[in-house]
Amino acid sequence: MLVTKPVADLCALLIDELHGELPSRIFAILLSKGRSTLPQLVQYTSMTPRQLRHGLAVLQQHNLLFYHVDPGAEFAFYEANAEHAYNLVRTGKILEMIDSSFGAPAKDVMQNLLLSGQTRISDLVAAYQEKIEQANKEAAHVEDDDDFGAEKNGVNGDSHPGKKAGPLVKSTAHLNSIICRLVEAELIDVVHAKTFESSQDILKTVEKEVMDKYFPAGVKGNKAKVEVQERIAEGLRKVRGESKSLKRKLEQNGTAAKRRKLFAGAGMSNGSHDEDMDPALDPRQVIRINYEKCLVDLRNRRLVQFATDIFGETSAYVYGVLLKLLTKDIPRCRADAAMDFGEDKEESEKDTVSVTTDQILDNLKTSVDLSLGIGKAERRQVSSVAAEKIELFPPKKKLLIEEAEVEGEASADEDEDNESSDESEYDSDYKAPTANGTNGVNGTNGAKVKFDESAAPKERRLDRPTQLRQHLLMLAESTQRFVRHCGPNEWTVDFVPLMNALREVELDSVIERTCGRQGLRLVRILRAKGKLDEKALPNVALMRKPELQQKMLEMQTAGFVHVQEVPRDLKADVKKSFFLWFCDVDRSLSRLLDTSYTTMTHCIQVLEALRQKERDVLETTKRSDVRGREKDTMRKEYYERYSRFLECERKLFAQVMRVDDLVSVLRDF
Amino acid sequence: MSGRGGRGGRGGRGPPTNGRRAVAQNSVPWAMDSDIVLDGKPSELFPPYAIPSAPVLTKKEEKQVSFFLLFREQCQDSPLYTQARTWTQSPSAATSASAATTRAYGQDQLNKRYGQTTKATVDPFTAVPTYSHKFKKVPRTLPDLAARPFAKEFFPPELHAALDGEDESGGQAAKRRRVGPKTLGLSSITSYKTAEELFLGADGQAHQLQQGGQVGGGGSLDKALQIMSTVEKGGEDGEGEAFLSGEDDDDWVKGNGEEDEDGNGDEDDVYEDESGDDYNAEAYFDGNQDDEDYDEGGDDGGDYF
Repeated sequence: MLVTKPVADLCALLIDELHGELPSRIFAILLSKGRSTLPQLVQYTSMTPRQLRHGLAVLQQHNLLFYHVDPGAEFAFYEANAEHAYNLVRTGKILEMIDSSFGAPAKDVMQNLLLSGQTRISDLVAAYQEKIEQANKEAAHVEDDDDFGAEKNGVNGDSHPGKKAGPLVKSTAHLNSIICRLVEAELIDVVHAKTFESSQDILKTVEKEVMDKYFPAGVKGNKAKVEVQERIAEGLRKVRGESKSLKRKLEQNGTAAKRRKLFAGAGMSNGSHDEDMDPALDPRQVIRINYEKCLVDLRNRRLVQFATDIFGETSAYVYGVLLKLLTKDIPRCRADAAMDFGEDKEESEKDTVSVTTDQILDNLKTSVDLSLGIGKAERRQVSSVAAEKIELFPPKKKLLIEEAEVEGEASADEDEDNESSDESEYDSDYKAPTANGTNGVNGTNGAKVKFDESAAPKERRLDRPTQLRQHLLMLAESTQRFVRHCGPNEWTVDFVPLMNALREVELDSVIERTCGRQGLRLVRILRAKGKLDEKALPNVALMRKPELQQKMLEMQTAGFVHVQEVPRDLKADVKKSFFLWFCDVDRSLSRLLDTSYTTMTHCIQVLEALRQKERDVLETTKRSDVRGREKDTMRKEYYERYSRFLECERKLFAQVMRVDDLVSVLRDF
Repeated sequence: MSGRGGRGGRGGRGPPTNGRRAVAQNSVPWAMDSDIVLDGKPSELFPPYAIPSAPVLTKKEEKQVSFFLLFREQCQDSPLYTQARTWTQSPSAATSASAATTRAYGQDQLNKRYGQTTKATVDPFTAVPTYSHKFKKVPRTLPDLAARPFAKEFFPPELHAALDGEDESGGQAAKRRRVGPKTLGLSSITSYKTAEELFLGADGQAHQLQQGGQVGGGGSLDKALQIMSTVEKGGEDGEGEAFLSGEDDDDWVKGNGEEDEDGNGDEDDVYEDESGDDYNAEAYFDGNQDDEDYDEGGDDGGDYF
């Protein structure tokens, strides 16, 4: 992750919001000055060493630092972990994701884990033990003073008037099983000795080890160089694997798969029965959240959302199940170049991960009606050969926009029940010139998919596997390539091109928002044509010249199109030189990313300004006698101001999270 | 443009070459594009602008935001939280606003932005100890590291003393050591109020009142509402005292106790008994620094918030 100034500001603000001023100050300095020791920090911040030690300890506890101690050195080098700091903004999303896929108790555990940073299992268990005991004691008391606990909190006075049905986590065994599930899902991993070394430090130590061990005489020749790289990658993978030690141990027990299946099926209902089967975890282990895997799960959700927008809910549901099965063993969204060197080779030799139709079928809920969401086309309109085509290999690297082409060529003559009814007319118009001559029909034919309920209810009553297959084929046929049909009844997803397509969709929607349909149309023309001369553009775009120029200028300021000046002769006369418009998707995306960071920073700054404005009200609400029963104790106008502020706060954070959606698509997925 | 060319021709700045004049005359926009319409009017200062508004939050987003806010609330409640930013909260609002917005050059100036609490920075209006200070949360300037256990092997050695809470500033003879085992406390905050809840709460009450107070258990609510409304009126008329001190008030506190709280009851009583004269004058200084309240606040001071 590239740390630019907006990112640094944002991270400091986020830490300020969640962990307070002292750590945020230190973090900002670490970001701007880079790796520093304690004495250096004293100099930079003009704080006392004691303050700094406390602040650093807090940052370290919340996994926001890397540090490195040279053997024999007096001071450690600290480095900021900007990625984790940025991930703080995703806390809400991660918790919501865990809440919906693992249930409320798991969310509670994860929240407490996030709250306390890296935690020893025994400490966590003790804390829960205490809470459970307290709750039991309260339950033992009769109902007349069951408010006692709530009242001590001072916060949930009247919002939960004694309605609490006991704690979410019922016993330590329950806690244990929850942790086991989260570890198996890789959402929690183990902290080990090298966790807090920055990746460069790890790389250096591994490099040194490899050189000492295998190549004491130095490296000569290309073959040896490749070998060095492979060995280093191997070493790095070993370091990375250490954090999964707990998972491996759990999997050795053999019951893991079964346990998981039971949990996935029945959720909470099988509580006590399962808990006995979970092995006790080593209480000395220290655990923390694994953001990388959380991101993989968030990506799945985003893709399902994407599919919902294009196909509708049933297909998206099928897709969600497929993704869940597929990404079980995918530890991170993007491969690390240094670490995964050589891993690619192994991957291509053995088969890539794939899921069979039967597996998906087993994991579908029976309550879902698969017949929904599939249109009906006449038999002669569907080419089963093209539809069932099997692609053994992932598509070659292509430019973003040209992905549609190959698909178009292959199925040029046959009509399929593709989703051209979903695409706007505009869309197909624009694609028409990109495809070859044979594809000229594409714009006009667009197989008419009939969603005619009354037509033939008997006919569409296919059996479940066939319906499932149709959903999958439809996903495979789309221009975005949600799924690849990689073998008979085997399915896989090529994430890289798919995410590129998603990125492009995001960019398009941003362009449409800022510059309107006209702007988007111009951008698409440019993408299809490559570089276009300023004078030729009005003819191609069929627009009047002044309008066009204004639009192009507007888009250039926004960074969506770029212009290149090519002089015709040495004198570089302005009137004689060519001006070529083009659009560079990567550049636009990085610019968009930068703007997004700034937007998020602004949102939080606005919030700060609001706080400043409503300072007197907020100070009142912080008083321990007012807190939790603002409505009773505050005067009406103050109360209204307070609630207005809360509403604004929610909206601002929601905006931040929406922008983060965009950022994660552009940067992390 | 053409005017300047003419002046130049008369010899102001030396003889311009023919080529330059030609360029100057031909490259003006209206010469290049004949159908351009020149508009000499000054542009509008505040042209109408359609402000884009964000779509309403979906259910999922609502949930995400609530989870985030709850998490934040719990974070700020934890022993590791230090106070919110100081550099916008310095006592004199005017200077702080400028301090927050003006540019800082160099690290020294940047560091000076952060507030320091010394005797000189104390706000004389709120610094006089009053009863209500009892309820104020004192912001923590340093995290309370001694309050909870840490996995020390994952911290660099120089921080270990700080983790034990033994990192006192130099020379202090008596080290405060905590006795007994440290425990990781789980946050007891379980809900974060949303704006809707706040509004709904008020609306719900009003609704109940409309339906008639005969519903069982609604009595206390009605009474509370009645008092609330009279307090509001009192705030305007200066008659609020009667409702806040005296038996009526106690009764309300008791009646409300079922769903609210009891443990604080005695505290509340004391609080309200003293609410007659002296205390509220302080409360006025505490919170409303607005001018509008200044006039009425002097004599009655009947309400607190």
